[in-house]
Amino acid sequence: MSARIEIVGVSKSYDGAARAVDDIHMTIEPGEFFSLLGPSGCGKTTTLRMIAGFEMPSEGIIRVGGQDITRVPAHKRDMGMVFQNYALFPHRTVRENVAFGLRMRKMPRAAIAKKVDEALAMVALTGFEDRMPGQLSGGQQQRVALARAIVIEPRVLLCDEPLGALDKKLRQSMQFELKQLQKTLGVTLVFVTHDQEEALAMSDRIAVLSRGKVEQVGTPTEIYDRPATRFVADFIGETNLFRGELVGTDGAPALRVDGHLTLALPAADGLSGAISVGLRPEKVRLTPGGAGAQAQGTVESANFQGGHVLYRIALAGNRHVLAQSPNDGSGAPLAAGTPVSLGWTPADLVILKD
Amino acid sequence: MLSLKVGRFLYLAVNWAVLAFLLLPILIIFVFALNPTPYIEFPPVGVTLKWFDKFFASPQFMSALLLSLEVAALTTIAATVLGASAALGIARGNVPGSRLITAIMLSPLMLPAILTGLALFQTYVLMDVGRPLWGLVVGHCLVTVPYVVRTTLAVLHNFDLRLEEAARNLGASPQRTFFEVTLPLIKPGVIAGGIFAFIVSFDQFPVSLFLVSPGQETLPITLFNYLKYDLDGTIGAASVVSILLAALVVIGLDRTVGLRSYVKL
Ligand SMILES: Nc1ncnc2c1ncn2[C@@H]1O[C@H](COP(=O)(O)OP(=O)(O)O)[C@@H](O)[C@H]1O
Ligand SMILES: [Mg+2]
Repeated sequence: MSARIEIVGVSKSYDGAARAVDDIHMTIEPGEFFSLLGPSGCGKTTTLRMIAGFEMPSEGIIRVGGQDITRVPAHKRDMGMVFQNYALFPHRTVRENVAFGLRMRKMPRAAIAKKVDEALAMVALTGFEDRMPGQLSGGQQQRVALARAIVIEPRVLLCDEPLGALDKKLRQSMQFELKQLQKTLGVTLVFVTHDQEEALAMSDRIAVLSRGKVEQVGTPTEIYDRPATRFVADFIGETNLFRGELVGTDGAPALRVDGHLTLALPAADGLSGAISVGLRPEKVRLTPGGAGAQAQGTVESANFQGGHVLYRIALAGNRHVLAQSPNDGSGAPLAAGTPVSLGWTPADLVILKD
Repeated sequence: MLSLKVGRFLYLAVNWAVLAFLLLPILIIFVFALNPTPYIEFPPVGVTLKWFDKFFASPQFMSALLLSLEVAALTTIAATVLGASAALGIARGNVPGSRLITAIMLSPLMLPAILTGLALFQTYVLMDVGRPLWGLVVGHCLVTVPYVVRTTLAVLHNFDLRLEEAARNLGASPQRTFFEVTLPLIKPGVIAGGIFAFIVSFDQFPVSLFLVSPGQETLPITLFNYLKYDLDGTIGAASVVSILLAALVVIGLDRTVGLRSYVKL
């Protein structure tokens, strides 16, 4: 039932303006929960709308289940879609909204009624059949939109920031439910979001987009632990970015950031010239006082966040590093002004493309 | 506190005054229609239905009334279809110069209708078509289509295009989408325009003046001709019948096809 989506060299420019989507390649596997993640305006919605058939790519091919659908009109694509603001038909009841797609498929009445009941039960909206969309809360409308999209048993489910309008609490429970539902149905789901936490929590794989280009495709852990580019490292979570000149030997490469700081790099091939590296704050170990370690600094501020403390450490040369230490219950965070040494292993440094 | 009360009193007083100003002529028409004396008299000296009898017994008035209803019905249908289509074309067609087209579509509202009538009269003379019924309907359409365009454009302006995309996504062809989603949602605007069209046509004087053929006149023209020689309660009775008929059509349309909107306009 679920299908593979192949996006091959797809670009889109609106009315000859700059490319909103620029030469995108990606393959979304059957039954996968796949997120398109990126800041506002990076081309997520445009990509989704091209998959749905509401926009025509300027270049490239989109295949679903091996079939080229680039020129297939939207109503023949057999995909479910949940719109950002739900787009429920305001003049139809909940039941009629959910039944719409089945009616278009000329299903017999009795079968429609049964399917609608099942779909509404699946999103826990039994009993709301005769309400108008205007009489529902945001979360309920969201569920109706979901029921309307899944009742047609689509090969592919497309969601454009479906949880964006919900408050935080509701959002988290809906994230969980949506993920469960997707696994139960086994449907290929393309999920658009600008919220990195949401993407990390829900996705099997994520494509990070920036300015219409794919920066990286990978599992949440790959994206977080091994970001490919500066943009990804910076956009996903907190990161310390260093940029400098390659020094040292092939066997023991190092990065000279400035006169005070030189970082030992993991051994890697093909390094040359100016290089950027990223270091996650939780990889930085702080030890009060002391020499040794990779660098010395002083605590500038400590931000207690319950489970952990986020320190801002001043290094020599007017440079700052973020370090995150777990709250081990040993008492108050280190005070500002405390001299500390910072430690990490070279493997914690991730070499980033620009 | 006191000034608040005074303010509220003034506010209500002004509202009632405006309402009275609008409704008083209608009230006077009713008095005129029911008063036994053949002229407007205040206070009325009695109540009679003889002017209504006279009106309904007059073959001239009756054929005029029927013609007016016929023309208004044809005009309403034609103007609604044309006006709604034009509005859809303007709002959705992605046509260059749609602002100019809108201005041209709405221009009959700004032109004195008597000029529209005169221009059309001359056109028909040049075309040598005589004075057919369709000629009159075309004239009425010219001055009523703008109302339908206006009211339909207003609803289309607030239309959420994603609703149509949702329908397409669920498997509805473009035609099906139009009838399942677009039309039901713009209906209140179209119907409102249609009601305007009916009333403007049923009431139409200046355009009709040039286009009716002698002996086959619409009600407003017949009333005007009657007024030139007689002034009695028949005029009042005819007006009352007109008002009630128009009200009946508005209420009827509202009840059957519905004016109220599902979406906030
Ligand atoms: N219909 C459109 N016409 C012209 N430009 C558009 C249109 N839709 C989107 N864009 C532009 O394309 C770029 C990507 O937009 P979009 O795909 O909506 O981004 P996102 O969903 O990631 O926020 C933006 O610069 C936006 O201004
Ligand atoms: Mg978007």
